[in-house]
Amino acid sequence: MNRRVYLDHNASTPVHPEVLEAMLPYFAERYGNPSSIHGFGRAAREGMDVARERVSSFLKVGKDEIVFTSGGTESDNMAIKGVAAARGRGHIVTSAVEHHAVLRTCTALESQGFTVTVLPVDGYGMVDPDDVRRAIRPDTILVTIMHANSEVGTIQPVGDIGRVTRERGIAFHVDGVQTFGKLPVDLDALNIDLFSFSSHKIYGPKGAAGLYIRKGTKMVSVQHGGEHERRRRAGTENVPGVVGLGKAVEVRARDMAEEEPRVRALRDRLWEGLQARVPEVRLNGHPTERLPGTCNVCFRHIESESIVLGLDLKGIGVSAGSACTAGNVEPSHVLVAMGVPLDWAMGTVRCSLGRTTTAEDIDYVLDSVEPLAGKLRSLSPLKG
Amino acid sequence: MRYSQILIEHFRNPRNAGMMRDPDGVGESEYAECMDLARVFLRVRGGRIEEARFQTYGCGPTIAASSAATELIRGRALEDLLDLTETTVETAVGGLPADRAHAAQVVTAAIRAAARDAAARAGRPAPAPGE
Repeated sequence: MNRRVYLDHNASTPVHPEVLEAMLPYFAERYGNPSSIHGFGRAAREGMDVARERVSSFLKVGKDEIVFTSGGTESDNMAIKGVAAARGRGHIVTSAVEHHAVLRTCTALESQGFTVTVLPVDGYGMVDPDDVRRAIRPDTILVTIMHANSEVGTIQPVGDIGRVTRERGIAFHVDGVQTFGKLPVDLDALNIDLFSFSSHKIYGPKGAAGLYIRKGTKMVSVQHGGEHERRRRAGTENVPGVVGLGKAVEVRARDMAEEEPRVRALRDRLWEGLQARVPEVRLNGHPTERLPGTCNVCFRHIESESIVLGLDLKGIGVSAGSACTAGNVEPSHVLVAMGVPLDWAMGTVRCSLGRTTTAEDIDYVLDSVEPLAGKLRSLSPLKG
Repeated sequence: MRYSQILIEHFRNPRNAGMMRDPDGVGESEYAECMDLARVFLRVRGGRIEEARFQTYGCGPTIAASSAATELIRGRALEDLLDLTETTVETAVGGLPADRAHAAQVVTAAIRAAARDAAARAGRPAPAPGE
């Protein structure tokens, strides 16, 4: 049996044992509807309250500024459509490297009469805050820029962008799914008005996430029904999931600072090893302003999928940077926006490390990838 | 695993990989949508395939299909390869998921092109020395 090494933490993470333990009672013991006033309901409500308290203290915001949702995608939709619906018309500024949950939401709004400016990025995938300033028009209602990119890990200058939006009185949404629980975030200091976050990227369960909505932000609910979440998101809450999210945040608050340099060092060990052992590789993303666990690499003249498959056969889970679906390869929109040449972009692999990644894991990956890349290149007609 | 055991085995241990010196026929096919590229070399003796080799850039299924197909066509009559079907190649790797059907397409097209090249060369005089 092969060793198993999971290097896809930006996609999802294993639930932390402490998180699982915290969640378990909320399936069969504290199963009430948190909206019910009886004891069963109150027990579930208590779990929600604790989770809300943990999230709000982690983000240093008010408890009533947190809305729980089903996922990062829902949070992004809620933020962008909620602001758009409150204003009825106007202009939105975003960037070319956003998650599809943001980009496609903006496209959908365009078809409803809103206008959208999609800002370019530099070769590292970074947005220039001056571009944001220049893009703002009198009718701009929202700027939505992600905190860190899920593919290449580049951290955007959200503080500088937040100064611009605050000065101009424009709502600022940040998709923080990749940074929440990985990096310290001070939403006030960064002038962020709306912040999407998720649980399953930080060792919590899937299906639980949230949106921070700064008090006073003009937005309306996009999902109608009951009075849940202070009428901002109708639907019975995923209580076990939210409890898990709360516990995950508590664990991250405790472990984050200690873990970050360890993961960063392993990430650098991986990249240094790849550079030393595999010819024609390049690193995507910012050299320093990058998520501590993200190492996105291009292998020239090898197709991503064949590397992912070859590593999978060695028990290693990484993700392909260019996805081949239905016989069509779409180089990632992020790499395209960064200007990565196609013959490199086609061979992109993202390795994302996490709390359980060890130095032995990294060495095993290096020992596996070196002969694999050599073999795939020896098969390839595209040499030099 | 979404791929067949046969496909995985060919991907792990590709047969007939690499170029061939002085082949009797060479064919290439590119699947533009995903940029897969397969090149097939044939050595023909007495109208039959004595040896087939390939060079392929592509996803795992395309590499595996190249390996399986070059193994499959060995010993076959050259003229039979002119109308080799994608289904034959797909069967040789134990089937393909719908979104990887191109693997059989690109490899089949490269083999057919190599067979056409070999047939054309066989029908004309050998090049003069130094040409």
